[in-house]
Amino acid sequence: MAYENLAFLIPLLPALAFVITFFVGKKTPYGGALIPIFAIAASFLISLLITIGLLQNPDQVISQSYHWFAILNLGILIDPLAAVMLTMVTFVSLLIHIYSVGYMSHDPAKSRYFAETSLFTASMLSLILSDNILQLFISWELVGLCSYLLIGFWYQKPSAASAAKKAFLTTRIGDVMFLAGIIVLFADLFKLVNGSIPEGVYLLRFDEIFSYIPEIAAMNATILGFEVSHLTIITLLFFGGAVGKSGQFPLHVWLPDAMEGPTTVSALIHAATMVTAGVYLVARTFPMFIAAPQSLIIVAYVGAFTALFAATMGIVMNDLKRVLAYSTISQLGYMMLGLGMGAVIGAEAVGVSIFHLVSHAFFKALLFLCAGSVIHAVGTHDMRELGGVAKVMPITAATMVAASLALAGFGIPGTSIGSTGFFSKDPIIENAYLFGEHAGNWFPYLFAIVAALLTSLYIFRLLFMTFAGKPRTNYGGHESPASMTVPLSILGILALIFGAIVVEPFNKFVSGTFVNNFVNMDIPALAEVGNYELAHHAGHEPLLILWMPVIVAVIGLLIAFVIYYQKAIDMSRFVSKDNSVYKLLYNRYYQNEIFTQLFAVKFVYEGLAMAGYHIDRFIDGIVNVISYLTIEAGDSFRKIQTGVIQHYSMAVITGVSLLVILIKLVMEVF
Amino acid sequence: MIPLNWYLALSAIVFAIGLYGFISQKNGIRILMCVELMLNAANINLVAFSTYNDDMSGQVFALFSIALAAAEAAIGFAIMVSIYRMRDAINLDELNLLRW
Repeated sequence: MAYENLAFLIPLLPALAFVITFFVGKKTPYGGALIPIFAIAASFLISLLITIGLLQNPDQVISQSYHWFAILNLGILIDPLAAVMLTMVTFVSLLIHIYSVGYMSHDPAKSRYFAETSLFTASMLSLILSDNILQLFISWELVGLCSYLLIGFWYQKPSAASAAKKAFLTTRIGDVMFLAGIIVLFADLFKLVNGSIPEGVYLLRFDEIFSYIPEIAAMNATILGFEVSHLTIITLLFFGGAVGKSGQFPLHVWLPDAMEGPTTVSALIHAATMVTAGVYLVARTFPMFIAAPQSLIIVAYVGAFTALFAATMGIVMNDLKRVLAYSTISQLGYMMLGLGMGAVIGAEAVGVSIFHLVSHAFFKALLFLCAGSVIHAVGTHDMRELGGVAKVMPITAATMVAASLALAGFGIPGTSIGSTGFFSKDPIIENAYLFGEHAGNWFPYLFAIVAALLTSLYIFRLLFMTFAGKPRTNYGGHESPASMTVPLSILGILALIFGAIVVEPFNKFVSGTFVNNFVNMDIPALAEVGNYELAHHAGHEPLLILWMPVIVAVIGLLIAFVIYYQKAIDMSRFVSKDNSVYKLLYNRYYQNEIFTQLFAVKFVYEGLAMAGYHIDRFIDGIVNVISYLTIEAGDSFRKIQTGVIQHYSMAVITGVSLLVILIKLVMEVF
Repeated sequence: MIPLNWYLALSAIVFAIGLYGFISQKNGIRILMCVELMLNAANINLVAFSTYNDDMSGQVFALFSIALAAAEAAIGFAIMVSIYRMRDAINLDELNLLRW
């Protein structure tokens, strides 16, 4: 493990690349693209070597801590969970950067682009290897800042500027909750150490936090007449932060609008950086969640609902990138659902969910890069104008098919044949079934299985409308340059075979995160703190359940084939303003209207802003009265200054006489 | 021996004359002279008490204040001369530059 001394370089190199590219990027070839590419490639190499080392010896967790402000620290923690995330993020980010050389070749501001994506990667990497929650929060905010900068990359466009603002403000709601959670957590820990922190102990480090879980769980607060454990409050606040960053219901509204940035930025946000931060946060603090009874169920429900909710909107969108955006929200819902299922299956949930995160990163990056390739060549992203793209762009089309198969989760249960998505998504759905069987609560399973049907439907709708059939409009197309097709091909191969090869060791590796020498958690005991009983499953499910996700995927494919390829059903009857269901879906459940009209206008503008205005006037009034009195007093007193020396001397003499009389009187009294 | 009270009465009369002049006069030189009167009233007191108590320090103080008065007068008259050169007047009513 000689590489552990290099661990600090993983986020530092892209951060340095950001500084260099920002200042001298324009003068270097390809608009400064080479600097971040080399930096991230080096980070990838270090991460990969560390991961391989960890695989051979899972107990050799890298943990380095440096004293920072009074009671906090700056540290690095690379355990299996962090290691796989680091490797995935650097790898996907590297491919996206290489791809961007071709994609951004015509953009005049490309050195700014490469600088910002480099910083984005750096902040995500430092988020992943933080060993304490405060450092994680700092990187969390940096990730938010970078997403703001990149979504609004083409800031001359008003829609891009407003999408960037929307993303920043929406995720800010989550960030505030996250910060509140940290504050409550710190207050509780401070109370538990009786207000005096022992020398050399960093309270907010994960191992310290986790060692106090039973004590925090025993603290109760009364909210609206309910006894709620402090741990439940803290974890729910953390989850609130994750909901914002990972675009879960109801804070998902920023994610589709984030399409205003360059497509490569969407790929970066949706696959490797921003949205995975929320899932990572829940996975990182998983021991806290499993000891908090209600939180984990809420995570599962929000995840399952989001998976279904976003998928319903995905099937009516006509914009290539928007379909993919809703797909991301939906798949992130699956990841949250996978974590929520920890209530039944324990720490394995982390492995299952993070595996879906990693495999999703591969095929979602691929989907976005394919879409970017089409947009780059054709110049439009409206699916109604496209069609037959496969003829002009065979490599893009082939990789797109691979990505779609992975997203829909095609494979054969019981064998090692299947796309990456099959091996990552099906365990989540099966766990949801186990949850139903174990807890008698079938809604998560129902949501997950319907969402799987819709996923298959919307992705093949996209595929058939864009790549198959005849062109609907005249467009000149050509296959993209090698800098774009090579990353596509690499990701395409990964989307097809990655899952089959690594699923078993991966799950075991990541699930072992909480049983190493750094954080050694007794997950079943913590589950008992949260009043659960972990199920011991292995081959419990009926065969039909194993086949179920694949069956619905095939049904989705067939429906899409009949409607959008054979055109056997005339969709124009349904796709009209008269159809209320279509209208509801197309208008995205009127969320924008609800958010802007009800929330922004009524609540924030008419409520808070008006109250603020009146309070402001009141405070200003008090200040103004004080200043008026001062000015008036000064005005009247300055008349004393006559400039006549006799007046002054009179005043002096009068004063001295009065003083003498006063002293005389005082002397007589005492 | 002349009683102490007589000296004190003389001193009070001289001081009162000086004070009256200081307040009522407009001519700058006269005001300076009035200040001298008040200082000398104080000197009379000092010397009288000194002799009465058989203590020399009062007379030393008197010499001090005479020396200071001389210095003050020199500077005061110099200022008056320069004011006269600039403004053609030593009438203090006309010299109210520090007015509001």
